[in-house]
Amino acid sequence: MEGWGDDVPAETLGQFCRGPNPVRLNVAIHEQLLTAVDGRRGVEAADRLCEACVVLLDIDAAAISLVFDDASSGTLGSSGAPARIYDELQFTLGEGPCLESVRARIPVLVVDLADPEEARWPAYGPAMLGHQIRGVTAIPIVVAGEFVGALDLFRARPGSLLDDDLAGAIAAAEIAGVPVLDLMDGDLRAAVADPNSNAWAELNALTRAEVSQATGMLVAQLAVEPAEALVRLRAHAYTTGRSATDVARDILERRLKLEGD
Amino acid sequence: MSETPRETRVLNAVVEIVDSLLDDFDVVDLLTGLTERCAELLDIKAAGLLLGDPLHRLRLVAATSEDARELELFQLQADEGPCVDCYATGQPVSVADIQPTIERWPRFVPAAAGAGFASVHAVPMRAAGIVLGTLGLFGASRGELNEADLLVGQTLTHIACVALLQEHPPTPLTVMPPLRSALTSRVIVEQAKGFLREMLGVSVEEAFNLLRIYARENGEHLTDVARRLMTDRYSRPMLVAALAELAEGRV
Repeated sequence: MEGWGDDVPAETLGQFCRGPNPVRLNVAIHEQLLTAVDGRRGVEAADRLCEACVVLLDIDAAAISLVFDDASSGTLGSSGAPARIYDELQFTLGEGPCLESVRARIPVLVVDLADPEEARWPAYGPAMLGHQIRGVTAIPIVVAGEFVGALDLFRARPGSLLDDDLAGAIAAAEIAGVPVLDLMDGDLRAAVADPNSNAWAELNALTRAEVSQATGMLVAQLAVEPAEALVRLRAHAYTTGRSATDVARDILERRLKLEGD
Repeated sequence: MSETPRETRVLNAVVEIVDSLLDDFDVVDLLTGLTERCAELLDIKAAGLLLGDPLHRLRLVAATSEDARELELFQLQADEGPCVDCYATGQPVSVADIQPTIERWPRFVPAAAGAGFASVHAVPMRAAGIVLGTLGLFGASRGELNEADLLVGQTLTHIACVALLQEHPPTPLTVMPPLRSALTSRVIVEQAKGFLREMLGVSVEEAFNLLRIYARENGEHLTDVARRLMTDRYSRPMLVAALAELAEGRV
């Protein structure tokens, strides 16, 4: 099994995966996660990534939320309607593991919300138990060095994720940076389906030193936050059909100056 | 420096790095210092430390040089070259002469040769069976990394592991968040270099020097200074003014 193509819906795969031979036997989880988002952008990529998490990891629902500024905070993608409800609860109640993981910049693992010791969230905990959710794992999503959101994984049963699943969850949070960037682009220049989009290539380009350096220059030039500066750099690359690395080099060499708003 | 026997210099370097571990330290700064010590102690010209991220990609976290060409070469090591093999196997790789390996590494070898390197080596950074990253070493002349050099390289990378993991026993849960955090620190430091390039009109190399000197003189972490510069609009003007003053003094 080499991941799946566009013609096989993730739900179908789910049936294979619950059998005794999990699909992850041969292919590393992170490769399958990457395959799930390839050719997709924005909300669709976020949804597919969440669906893939449910298929590949021992969890029941997954959601991606953005906790960047008040204007754009909320659930970006989910494995389905229940996941969206679980995730939105913490925005309604103003507390929960996702908000906690972004604030503290670390993964937050809740083994059992029903455990009396687990009284961190007096409103969120009982509300989730009402939805029959016992375990929650929140992994921060980092864009341009800023902790902008989290990947939230929900389990009906108590217990911690096994090491491999946790490694997979952290990989998924890393990949989630790409759809999150799509959605931070206010003009949605990139947030349309793009059959050529390749999450791996994109992640590679965006973590290069010159892209970070150019992001820093844009922060100074445009008086914006780093994540916003990276969104601008990337949007310029899209509109001009160039790579983020080339655009970054031009900014660094002062051959290119992006306009402010 | 050449008067002092190498054993003494190695021990001094170990003591110095362990000392900083016992104190509050900045991970990017400490690892940068570690690559610099490696270059001094081994017969090599440049060194770069790469860490594996959650997607098993190698990413540069510290290097002996911030020169754009060398940074490019260090980054290229994430795609091909001995570091990739070393990361996959957890074993050291020593390439005494890079020229014959050009077919195997068609992008890496010309880049390394173009930067004046003839040999290249990779030392794994590992803890409890988990490979965290690799230390890439570049020599100006051909030759294997000998046993003694390898031992020095391994000792220093081992200290780097301790620095990264601190007292946590290595498992995927304890390994990945600190690696991710170290790589995030590097991203912010790179941003701060670009920010200073724009604000002070300096090269990114000089921007890194300024940040490091400022952090040291003020007893702050390099990453904290960089982060304040990038995200704290209130303290930014004073910080920029202080860094500008520092830059004036260095001209």
